[in-house]
Amino acid sequence: MVICEKPDAAWRIAEALSDGGARSSTVDGVKLFRFSSRGEEFVVCSAQGHVYAISDPFRERAVYPVFDVEWYPSNLVKEKSAGAARMIGAIHRLAQGAAKFVNACDFDLEGETIGFNVLRYACGGKEEGALRARFSTLTKDDVVNAFKQAKTQAGQGRARAGRARHLVDFVWGVNLSRVLSQSALNSGRGYRPISMGRVQGPTLAFLMERELEIREFVSSPFWKVSGTFEKKGMRFTAGFSHERVRSKAAAEKVRDDCRGNEGIATSVVRRAVQVSPPPPFSTGDLQREAYRTLRFSPSRTLQVAEKLYLKAMISYPRTGSQYLPPSINYKTIIQGLGSDNRYSKLAGKILGGALNPARGTKNDPAHPAIYPTGEVPRGHLDQPEAAVLDLIVRRFFASFGPPATKEVINARLSVGEHDFVLSGERTLYQGWIGSYRRLVSNRDNGVQSITESDRFRVVRMEVEERFEQGPSRYNQSSLLEKMERENIGTKATRADIISTLITRGYVEGNDLKVSDLGFAVFEAMEKYAPAIVTTKLTRQIEERIEEVEGEGEEDAELVRETVRLIANQLVGLNTNADDLGREIDAGITAIAATSDVLGPCPVCNRGHLGIIRSRRTKKRFVGCSNYSSGCRASAPLPQRGTIRPTQKVCPDCSWPVVYVMGGRRPWRLCVNPDCPTKRRSER
Amino acid sequence: MKCKLCSRVAVSELCRYHEGAKRAVEAGYSLWAKAYGEMGWKDYLDKVKRNGQTGQWAKEIAEMLEGLQHD
Repeated sequence: MVICEKPDAAWRIAEALSDGGARSSTVDGVKLFRFSSRGEEFVVCSAQGHVYAISDPFRERAVYPVFDVEWYPSNLVKEKSAGAARMIGAIHRLAQGAAKFVNACDFDLEGETIGFNVLRYACGGKEEGALRARFSTLTKDDVVNAFKQAKTQAGQGRARAGRARHLVDFVWGVNLSRVLSQSALNSGRGYRPISMGRVQGPTLAFLMERELEIREFVSSPFWKVSGTFEKKGMRFTAGFSHERVRSKAAAEKVRDDCRGNEGIATSVVRRAVQVSPPPPFSTGDLQREAYRTLRFSPSRTLQVAEKLYLKAMISYPRTGSQYLPPSINYKTIIQGLGSDNRYSKLAGKILGGALNPARGTKNDPAHPAIYPTGEVPRGHLDQPEAAVLDLIVRRFFASFGPPATKEVINARLSVGEHDFVLSGERTLYQGWIGSYRRLVSNRDNGVQSITESDRFRVVRMEVEERFEQGPSRYNQSSLLEKMERENIGTKATRADIISTLITRGYVEGNDLKVSDLGFAVFEAMEKYAPAIVTTKLTRQIEERIEEVEGEGEEDAELVRETVRLIANQLVGLNTNADDLGREIDAGITAIAATSDVLGPCPVCNRGHLGIIRSRRTKKRFVGCSNYSSGCRASAPLPQRGTIRPTQKVCPDCSWPVVYVMGGRRPWRLCVNPDCPTKRRSER
Repeated sequence: MKCKLCSRVAVSELCRYHEGAKRAVEAGYSLWAKAYGEMGWKDYLDKVKRNGQTGQWAKEIAEMLEGLQHD
């Protein structure tokens, strides 16, 4: 009996191992696959993710603290897990007749936890004797090899670490979230989930720290002097050697001195720079690159990558590694990719040289870096899948490419006593950039034609007033990077934690601006349970989970200590529950007030347009706050999805523009039903 | 006591955030005055208030200090 994590993986494994094809059948409505191989009968079933979840016996959101927690079938714990009962029942029945068990779930902490729980609870204590099949791709060769080499796991360190992480995070999250939500509820407003998790707290702290810097920021002025120079019909723009002139008068003096004068190239320095190929993608690298080039959020990228893995197009996408071991068989993969017309030239070029892929500093003992399997897609790939796959393929190719060589040119043009500098670069040898060109910026700007002693006519001199830029807010990609750098969360959970902060309303917009509610929750935690929002504590626990994984620490001890720690923090929160509730309630009130106001009314120019809900129909619409004084400005609104103000007005009609969130992506809408842009699109 | 500019608890008459912003606004004056050669306090506050880079709390402080000038 083979236990898998997902149905697609179950099917692929069955297909790969069977002698004459796998047969699908159902037991209690649960789909599974049967096949024979070398005279043995196999049944492959899929757990469909976590079929067991941690909970407390009360399952009441008003009850805390709860420390008496246990694993339960997830249908008893979660609303949308009705299928888990059937799944567990079917696995239990099949397990009665099974002689051997193989855990073939994903080889990481989550997969190990899923497999362990199914073997322990549904199969009746089979976790110790079960074999472990370990693979990084779902290709036939990898799966067959993994089953040939499958063996029992002594110690089960990874499974114990995975289970300990779930326990610790549950105890942490459930207690803090219940005390926060309950305190807010008791302050008089209706129930609203206010969550606080082990990694969520420090992540919110990063955002807060940046938010404070931004809100307190006072810029300072500087002036940028630049000149346009001409030589034989070619024009170049060069900046004054002091990039930021701190005094207006000094900047204007440079401008006036240089106007109408002649410039001489007093120095031209050229140097060749080798640009090494990038390492193959780790999970974080892929998420950042997909955000930069495709604008995919980290969680979306991971979802798409998961699908590609289940279609056997790429290796396991949850990995910290930036290394591709030779055992993955570079040549076969490149040959496979070469059968696609888009990559045939590149593949041919790479196969003509030595196959030594670049490697980064990070390694992951469980999986190599993400790489394409080289298999031809058997089914249809949708657009996001194709885009992410192309990114992975090109990065894979790039990692095999030779270093590129660029020439960097720095020229100094002197006008009297004032120096101006301009720089440029050109590619001397493309190397790996050939396969990654679309994704690499280039700065070939003609500076290479300048030689020393060249004379230039000063065409124009400009002084521009500028201001120091304030710190920029995190976006999803840079926040993910920060979490990685600070070593909090895991490659599998970081993207979800960012999504939770958005869903809870702690941050708003693409630039993750901390909302009033985010402020209120953070301030309350900082005041009454400060340890919870520090990175140090979360990182320590992360390190201890790794110790459990390496079998250097007992999981039970880690859980016991976490319970003690949370209990201490809860004392501070509970003693101040009334104040805590009032403070969070103030945040909720502020967020509700601002989220209903859309902007100034363009009809009466006195009131504000806001979202109003009809008492009679319960439908929402836009109305003016100046209604009582006669303004009748109103507009219908979509009845589905969340509506958030953008703080921007439509350039065509000056009515507010809102975000409507509910589908796959938020969309912008000018609320004015008679907006000229709408009439144009109707025509 | 509440902050003059928001509903947070005040340290003296402002909350800790607005206090921080006030220090930043006050510290910025010498830089701006030096940069422009000559600049009055009122003119400075007006420029800071209108500057796109100025943070929300610093703007509120500039407005408050400007109001004090009028008073």
